[in-house]
Amino acid sequence: MKSLLQISNDQKFNAPLLFFVVVTSQIAVGIQGFQRLIVKDATHDAWISILLSFLFSHFIVYVMFKTLEIYSTNDLFGIQLDLFGKYLGHLINFSYVIYVSFAFFVVLKNYTEIITTWVFPNLSQVFISGTLLILVIYSFTGGLRVIIGVCFISVVSTIWMLLLLLFPLEYAHYNHLLPVLSNDLVSILKGAYSMTFTIVGFEVVNILYPFVKDKNKAQKYVHFGLFFTCFVYVFVMIVTIVYFSNEQLEKTIWALLTLFSIIKLPFIERIEIIVICFWLIIILPNLCLFSWSAYRGIVRIKNIKGTTFIWIFTILIFFVSLPVQSRHDINRINNIFSKIAFYVVFIYPLFLYIMASTKKILKKWVKSS
Amino acid sequence: MFGMKKIRKINKSNDSSAKTEAKHIKIPSSKVEFIEKLKEITHSPADLMIKEISDTITIIYVDFLIDVNTLNEQILPTLEKTDCATPRIIKESLLVAEVDLGSELNKCVLEMLIGAVLIHVEGNSELVIAKISAYQTRSLTTPENESQVIGSQIGFNESLATNISLIRRYITNPNLSNEKYVIGKETNTSLSVLYIKGIASEEYVNTVRQRIIDLDVSDILDSAILTELIDDNSLTIFPQMLLTERPDRFCDGLLSGKVGIVVNGSSMAILCPYTFFEFFQSREDQNLRWPIATFLRLLRFSAILISIFFTPIYVATLTFHYEVIPQPLLVPLSESRAIVPFPPIIEALFLELIIELLREAGARLPTKVGQTIGIVGGIVLGTAAVQAGITSNILIIIIALCALSAFTTPNYVMGNVIRILRFPIIFLAGFWGFYGIMFAFCLLIIHLLRQSSLGAPYLQPFYPPRWKDMADSVIRLPLPFINRQPILTSRKVNDKASNNNSSNEEKMKQS
Amino acid sequence: MRKIKLILILLICCSLITGCAETKILERISLVTLIGYDNGDEDKVTATTVVRQINPEFESRVETQTETEATSKGTRIKVDMKTAKKLAAGQLRVVLYGEELAKQGIEESIQTLLSNSEISTSVYLAVVRGESKTLIEQNYEGISDIGQHLYNLIDHNIEQQQLISSTLHEIGRDNQSKVRNFALPILKKEGQFIGITGTAFFNKGKMVGELPSSDISYLVLICDSFKSGTLELSLDSESISPTVETKGDTLNLAVDSIKSKSIIKVTDAKKNEFDLNILLKCRLLETSNKIDISDPKVNKTIEKAMNEKIESEISRIIKYTKEIESDIFGFGEEYRSQVRGANLTEEKWMEMYKKMKLNINVDVEIIRNGVYE
Repeated sequence: MKSLLQISNDQKFNAPLLFFVVVTSQIAVGIQGFQRLIVKDATHDAWISILLSFLFSHFIVYVMFKTLEIYSTNDLFGIQLDLFGKYLGHLINFSYVIYVSFAFFVVLKNYTEIITTWVFPNLSQVFISGTLLILVIYSFTGGLRVIIGVCFISVVSTIWMLLLLLFPLEYAHYNHLLPVLSNDLVSILKGAYSMTFTIVGFEVVNILYPFVKDKNKAQKYVHFGLFFTCFVYVFVMIVTIVYFSNEQLEKTIWALLTLFSIIKLPFIERIEIIVICFWLIIILPNLCLFSWSAYRGIVRIKNIKGTTFIWIFTILIFFVSLPVQSRHDINRINNIFSKIAFYVVFIYPLFLYIMASTKKILKKWVKSS
Repeated sequence: MFGMKKIRKINKSNDSSAKTEAKHIKIPSSKVEFIEKLKEITHSPADLMIKEISDTITIIYVDFLIDVNTLNEQILPTLEKTDCATPRIIKESLLVAEVDLGSELNKCVLEMLIGAVLIHVEGNSELVIAKISAYQTRSLTTPENESQVIGSQIGFNESLATNISLIRRYITNPNLSNEKYVIGKETNTSLSVLYIKGIASEEYVNTVRQRIIDLDVSDILDSAILTELIDDNSLTIFPQMLLTERPDRFCDGLLSGKVGIVVNGSSMAILCPYTFFEFFQSREDQNLRWPIATFLRLLRFSAILISIFFTPIYVATLTFHYEVIPQPLLVPLSESRAIVPFPPIIEALFLELIIELLREAGARLPTKVGQTIGIVGGIVLGTAAVQAGITSNILIIIIALCALSAFTTPNYVMGNVIRILRFPIIFLAGFWGFYGIMFAFCLLIIHLLRQSSLGAPYLQPFYPPRWKDMADSVIRLPLPFINRQPILTSRKVNDKASNNNSSNEEKMKQS
Repeated sequence: MRKIKLILILLICCSLITGCAETKILERISLVTLIGYDNGDEDKVTATTVVRQINPEFESRVETQTETEATSKGTRIKVDMKTAKKLAAGQLRVVLYGEELAKQGIEESIQTLLSNSEISTSVYLAVVRGESKTLIEQNYEGISDIGQHLYNLIDHNIEQQQLISSTLHEIGRDNQSKVRNFALPILKKEGQFIGITGTAFFNKGKMVGELPSSDISYLVLICDSFKSGTLELSLDSESISPTVETKGDTLNLAVDSIKSKSIIKVTDAKKNEFDLNILLKCRLLETSNKIDISDPKVNKTIEKAMNEKIESEISRIIKYTKEIESDIFGFGEEYRSQVRGANLTEEKWMEMYKKMKLNINVDVEIIRNGVYE
């Protein structure tokens, strides 16, 4: 297999860090406004939708690892090259790179939008994307070790925000959660489908896999990570449901931020302003991981240096992001992205697994006969 | 195996380079020629002493560098007794501890400049080198920059020999290795690389060796210069090696597997690899009961955060985010700001500058005057500034708090870094509020993640997370819980394990 | 080299875009702490704002400005033209509505407040008897900043459970909910003071009725868990005789609630029947007559009389809310959450609410009285 990867031990990282990678990759801009999308279909049973969506993600991760294990040390791009041949493989790799770049773009744009609506209405979007991209370049050029480090610190330094969510419970009406399961299965599934935009991100494991030191433990930590984010999302959702009325929630664009806005501490008020700025460190690892995945894909097509790549990549993104300004545009982009992401993250791995395993069986069969 | 090979290579290259640099000059066997040659090499300085003991024997030394008593009582009588004329016999009959034979003039001259007596015997092209160097050193005193209440009160001085003897007093162990190097083309400064074999990782020792050998400098006057030269990244503001004047701290480092460097002429010894968090630990933490030590460490770490971010937060809040101020604070804050004519950023920079100036003035002045300057300047200037309406009194409190917090950092070099870091962040806060602060925070974190010390991650044991080493990092657990050889320095074991892993993988692949 | 390049680009970026963020330096803005809305001419709304100005003389001055315009933003622009410093609403604490305007509907106003990210959702809303303008513009002795004063007034009363919490968030939530209505406190100018005189009930954003302040404790008892409030009762002497003798016709009691729990249960969904169980553990603070509370018999009798009294008061209040069609207690919410497939709409629930049958069940327990028997 020519697509095999040679990775030195220095570049590898320990499996437990995958936990942090998965958590950060799943929690980004989506969590600030996902409630309204799900509640639209699943109303107060939205938390069940989230559980369902995570159940499905666990299954997908399981399938993903089955696929990766067939190839022992190879990433998604290598597997695609092996399965689809040189030309089609490169084409699919390239479209995956486009998908990842799209994800990068969506995160960047949504965060910019939040900053401009809540904190600095007059701050130019050019500046915000510019500064974000500088951070991405700086961490990217440090290598994978730094990127994983950013993931780790991002989780550790933002975990306190969960505690803040206990404050709004003062205004909670717990009967908003009842009656459990009053919606039909279809609407709950629809809600689960709406989770796509929020839940995606863990597919970077596909590309990180060869860089994990002890691979037999990797899957365990990915599942842990999923489990933790599931807890976070369900917790946030339950707090949101008991805090808002259903009708109000459908009109609230960033329910999480509105939740934060009622918190009053003796030394500080309006925590959402601080939280929004702090969110920078939550989206930064996402941007880094996405740009890094794009780089891994591009390297398969043309061998270029990481520094060159990241400069070209960020400059391209920067110019593409310029014309997108209004809420309307961003909403449309989010919708398109969540549709694409659903197929890429939840359907495609199944297809890939079937392909890979049939190929394996065929090979065995050819050998034996 | 790999390490050994490397060392051999290094030695070879070292030898060859030495040959090319210093021309091999033979020692003339005739006395007159020898003296002339010697004078030519040393440019006949005023303190070069040449004594002809007899017709055949001449001794040469540099005044004030040698121990005159030994010369008078041991060497001169022996030389007078022995008429027999080979250097070998003289060497054996001399009652001095360090005696050598030299056949290379340049090397002999260097030895003489360190403090040896050269004995030339007519007709022989070999010299007897009797090393009886003696020079004035400062007596051992308490370490002034790293003072501590509980613990030993002794500090290094400027003599390499004294320092090493101090270290040997702490660690009586044959495994304590001492490798000597001479660097600096002009100064020929000698330095020792110390480590404990079996505890220190070979990898780090090799790296240090390699970096010292590769150095191509004209002079090293202090160990601080050496750290900058052999750092992983000398462009960053953060120190990556520890400079300490405490032998106990130095030995503590050696015992936990670090590599130490002692430079002649410098009262600061170097320890490496050193990580970010270790810079905020004091040796005293080990000497205190663990709950107190933990509390002090947590206090210090919160002090860093306060010191870096408090003033910027003030600036950001008052410039952009007035919403976050709770109602009871609103009135006092705004009233104290009411007569200040400048925007908060100018106000804050102005006060920070005053504090920095006071500190710098205090550091340059004699100790007693310096203290007075600090107190008087602080109180008088602060009160006057508030009364004149240039700053608000709440800011004075904040700035004082920040300054105070910065001084809790036990390491002077790191303390400077913490103080200086605030300035760019104040600028960012003044322009873009909390967003600017967060930008700086992210930049700082990425920067720290990118750093390494001798190739070891700078943020260990926090990242990559080493749970076992956490026991002695931001907190300090009771001594039985502390691993004396952290994973940081015993990386060899780690690598082995992972190598096994990868070889297993390969096997799996093959099968 | 790479690093130098990076720093260079950072500097370029910074210098290019410097000064783009709009500054709001604390002492250079006018902080709006209170807004009062009143009915203006025709369709217009009169807004009276209290603006805190910070002067160099180490004291803050409070200004009031009144403007009439079709939209609240319009009034803001006009007020901006009158103040020396830029207006900023981020420290807004209280929004008042004139009685007249409240009766016409304040739904749009609530929507506007909610969608403005500058304004916190913890702002308190209240209704003013008469016009809010006259209440705000009056000079009160001893009240230097009326905005802060009103905020503290409402805040501490809510904390002590003498008011139903009326933050913007809760009002917005109940207003948009199909099965719930909201109530606001009524403020009134009383000479040199401002007092809370009652509770205004709303339906679809319009004020439809009110109850005096003496009934607030019962409202809190039904809505919330009553933890720190004081309840004043006057028991008929008939209900407690002959165990306890009274001087006059009534025995006046004041109890301090320690813990209370109110549970609304749908007992029969088809028949539209509800149970309201209230458990109240309290401390007897004051009685108009000397009674021997340590006697278990007396204790029992008083508890029983209190039960009856509270039950009758509550049924009176609920009857009133049925009349004015305002369900602020969340019976609809309970119905929705307890009955599967309820599919309530606003109209349907109102019809049901009016016909609702409610069994009230109060259980008072006097745990202790003072330190002296």
